[in-house]
Amino acid sequence: MKYSFFKGCFLSVRLPHLERVSVNVLGELGVELKETRGFSCCPEPVGFLSTDKLTGMAIAARNISLAEEEGLDILTLCNGCTYSLRHVNHALKADEEAREKVNEVLSETDHQFRGTVDVKHFASVLMNDVGLDRVARKIEKPLKGLTVAGHTGCHIVSPPEIMAFDDPFDPQVLDKMVNVLGSEPADFDLKTLCCGWTLTNYGDKDGADKLLGAKLESMHRAGSDCVSVICPQCFYQFDMGQLLASRRLGLDFSVPVLFYLQLLGLAMGYSLEDIGLKRHRTKSSGFEEKILEALG
Amino acid sequence: MVIRVNYDADDNLSVVEASEICLKCGVCCVVKEHSCHAQLDSQFSPKCTYVYDCLGMDLPSENPNIWLCVSCHKCEEMCPYEVSPIRFIESMKAKAFEDGLAHPVIFGEVANIVSTGFAFPLTVSSSRQRQQLGLEPLNESAAEDLMKIAEKTGLSGKIDKYRGEEL
Ligand code: SF4
Ligand code: SF4
Repeated sequence: MKYSFFKGCFLSVRLPHLERVSVNVLGELGVELKETRGFSCCPEPVGFLSTDKLTGMAIAARNISLAEEEGLDILTLCNGCTYSLRHVNHALKADEEAREKVNEVLSETDHQFRGTVDVKHFASVLMNDVGLDRVARKIEKPLKGLTVAGHTGCHIVSPPEIMAFDDPFDPQVLDKMVNVLGSEPADFDLKTLCCGWTLTNYGDKDGADKLLGAKLESMHRAGSDCVSVICPQCFYQFDMGQLLASRRLGLDFSVPVLFYLQLLGLAMGYSLEDIGLKRHRTKSSGFEEKILEALG
Repeated sequence: MVIRVNYDADDNLSVVEASEICLKCGVCCVVKEHSCHAQLDSQFSPKCTYVYDCLGMDLPSENPNIWLCVSCHKCEEMCPYEVSPIRFIESMKAKAFEDGLAHPVIFGEVANIVSTGFAFPLTVSSSRQRQQLGLEPLNESAAEDLMKIAEKTGLSGKIDKYRGEEL
């Protein structure tokens, strides 16, 4: 299983420890990641792809063409990158006129979009290409006794016709991935509510705090020891965002966040140090004790 | 409140039609677990939801709230009348950008992507962390192509114009 590795700019610039653990864990599962030269930002869907569609599509098409030149499907680590690249891949494969228009723009570069590869989020790769059976065989230290709130995020699920990942209103895939670790998925009521990234960045802080507070309380009420995410922006919201919001809201609990591949790493026998936990801003001694117990 | 749209704000007829058929039922915003997250911004209520706010302005592209939309498509999935507010809001974002009215953070991000290939600036601290972790250094090798693309589509001109107006 070899893929062109689209690490994405937010993760590689702001959260490189997640890149490290992702490469290590996926490698152990037989996923080979090729460092494709010349990738740029996907481009980011909220500010770029929706504001200048033609340029955004051309940038995404250029990224896809680099993987096409290597004959490899793309593997991403981010919901936003997956959204931009899959949307553009889908639109250009389906619409010849749009493809010609974008390729006309790309003629300024040495690349052309041909529509020969697929774009896959790492969670899809785990589910469909590696398979949960194979993941299960790699589990050495089942995370027994750990209750995990799965936050799937928005961009990976909508619209389902293009993203083909999970039901936007009743997401189950991440819970299955949590189950395979030996841990228990939390049943919480605000499961599909957004992490609030744009409210924090472009809206009013009170609204963002209210959203994060409600979401965290819902996870806490359901007995969650931690929240697991598959998107670096969601990660940042639940880590740094939680730290700031909980100070302002005076929360008396915390729900530490882990990128799914960090949790998987722990279940495969990695230490807290190996997964880079010391770089996280939201801490919980209860969570760390439970993990140390599970790791024996 | 009557939903009003400045019809020449967008030449995509289906978007205009969509905004006309919104029945102001609120489903896209008020179901907390399944609908629009922007509704949690303190200025909105079940009586004046985020989507009414975006669809109800005379000059929607001048409404700073359009930048709260995260393009999650939940409104599109929830709306019983196939209004698709997201398409409307995205086209308003494009118009706002064209008119130099983009949120400054968005503008900075777009300009950064075109000139460096990255949405977030490469910092000394991130390079150091990557080195400590044994990861390949990041570089701006895509920037040359991206600038050619932006030149061809006219985005570079918009960025220059916006920068000129800011000075
Ligand atoms: S797409 Fe935009 S308007 Fe629609 S629910 Fe999501 S954030 Fe709200
Ligand atoms: S659900 Fe549809 S019809 Fe109802 S308020 Fe939202 S956009 Fe309008």
